[in-house]
Amino acid sequence: MEWDALWLSCQLAAATLALLMPFGVWAGRTLAYHTFRGKAVIEGLVLLPLVLPPTVLGFYLLVALGGASPIGAWLHETFGVTLVFNFAGLLLASLLFNLPFVIPPVQRAFEAIDPRLRDAARVMGLPRYRIFWQVELPLTWRALVAAAVLTFVHTLGEFGVVLMVGGNIPGETRTIAIAIYDRVQAFDLAAANQMALVLLLVSLAAVVSTFTLSARTASPPHKE
Amino acid sequence: MTLTAPETLTVAVDQCEPIPLRGRLTVAAGQLVALVGPSGAGKSSLLRIIAGLVRPQQGVVTLGATCWLDTDRRICVPPQARHVGMLFQHYALMPHCSAEANVALALWRLPRRERREQARLWLTRVGLPEPLWGRLPSALSGGEQQRVALARALATHPKVLLLDEPFSAVDALRRTELYALLAALRQELTIPIVMVTHDLMEARLLADEIAVIDRGELLQQGPTEHLYRSPRNARVAAILGIENRFAGRWLGPDPHRPGWGRLEWRAHSESDDAPVIAVLPARDKGRIPVGQAVHWVVQNDALTLRAADAPPCTGSPVRLAVTVTAVRSSGDFSRVEVALTAFPPLRWHITLTGRERHCFSAGEPAFLCLDPSWIHVMPIRRR
Repeated sequence: MEWDALWLSCQLAAATLALLMPFGVWAGRTLAYHTFRGKAVIEGLVLLPLVLPPTVLGFYLLVALGGASPIGAWLHETFGVTLVFNFAGLLLASLLFNLPFVIPPVQRAFEAIDPRLRDAARVMGLPRYRIFWQVELPLTWRALVAAAVLTFVHTLGEFGVVLMVGGNIPGETRTIAIAIYDRVQAFDLAAANQMALVLLLVSLAAVVSTFTLSARTASPPHKE
Repeated sequence: MTLTAPETLTVAVDQCEPIPLRGRLTVAAGQLVALVGPSGAGKSSLLRIIAGLVRPQQGVVTLGATCWLDTDRRICVPPQARHVGMLFQHYALMPHCSAEANVALALWRLPRRERREQARLWLTRVGLPEPLWGRLPSALSGGEQQRVALARALATHPKVLLLDEPFSAVDALRRTELYALLAALRQELTIPIVMVTHDLMEARLLADEIAVIDRGELLQQGPTEHLYRSPRNARVAAILGIENRFAGRWLGPDPHRPGWGRLEWRAHSESDDAPVIAVLPARDKGRIPVGQAVHWVVQNDALTLRAADAPPCTGSPVRLAVTVTAVRSSGDFSRVEVALTAFPPLRWHITLTGRERHCFSAGEPAFLCLDPSWIHVMPIRRR
């Protein structure tokens, strides 16, 4: 069992959540409540990582951010930042490939709120932040938690993009999914099995909890 | 224009998109105006414009000296700053908040402790029993939810109260109680109240004035009885449920009877050669040109139904031979439909109460006595 790799994966997933959830809630809510030109394009782009092979996404990220690319070179010269083969690059990739796991479900959750409730809140004089905290959030939190759980687990297990952008540097970019692959390559099936089992159990727990949460959201209100 | 009192609500809108909406509405302080019209007429849209939830293409909304909306001057006060109490159709209670928390939410400007006290005070005032205060809306009946919604709308001491189909989700049994509650609360309210309803009985029961809206156009506003007695046109009469509507032609003033004119009653208004039924006397207000095609209506108050062998009615010069075609009993009253013997396709409707309503049955001949001073004549304006 490579605890380093598991720990790195957890760090990556946590950092992804910390950055992606606030953005995802903002973006999902904006898509739910506003109509603007190019909205359909944005909705399509958000879903793109879902249908794109991870290696393709990883490849383009590598090309776009590598030292040979204009962006990569500019980042390095201006800020001294490199975004490939390190944790920061991994995080950026992780943020991108998790977009479809966060924004669409968040958007659906906000869309599902009866518009009259928001109208009522506005007529009551509630300022926007109060409408968000006291009306929208209590009605969407289950969906938000479900999206967060899925994102966390999805990040733990992501392989293709991570390998392309991060490589396999122990302690820096060697996540648990890479470690499993690495162990199998070395015919160390026992170690691979241990780690695979951990991922399987975590994923199973995540899926079960997400389903429980969304089932509770969907259940009709009880009537006395 | 009448004198505008300090807290009078005035609304003027003119828009074609997204739905057509045109007209003026004036609601004095302490007055309840019922907005009636068929579904899709734009009643709720008008309410939403007053609340500030939608912005019309063109319009002005003022409360006393305060301007809430003036599209020409680019003024549009957001709903948060209008201080309106609104009771939504199906109430729009927060499903995650208890009855008490729903009312307290509206009182967010107060300190936390006071919010609770005030919320409880209002729940008591609207008559919600204490054991229900902690329940979620889903565990309350329609009538109970309505009380919570009313408490929430009134708790903030709004400047205007808007009621959108307030009784539509309440069963008939509870409705009477809630009418009484609204009537009682009204005594203490000195703000303009606008109520959207499709129930004419409700409107007549609760409102001081009725405003009739149809296909986005505010057709007429006036005191309830006035509107029923003199609707502006046949459409208003139809929306108000005045069933005795007929066609005719205005023959001009009666030279032998000052203040009166002659109305030629015709079978229909579709063509100029429609059969003439009779020439009736009607009050002449001097507004209708001679020869003008008209519609005319008569309210139930002007009608008396007599058995064929009964002595003639006193003081009613118009006596029509009819045949009873249907008698429908509805609680304390009966709706009687009679066909004109001279021209059976023309039907009259009369509401009878008391012992009288048992005197008639379908197929019997009878006489309909009509007090002509109640005949209201409206010119037909072809578009």
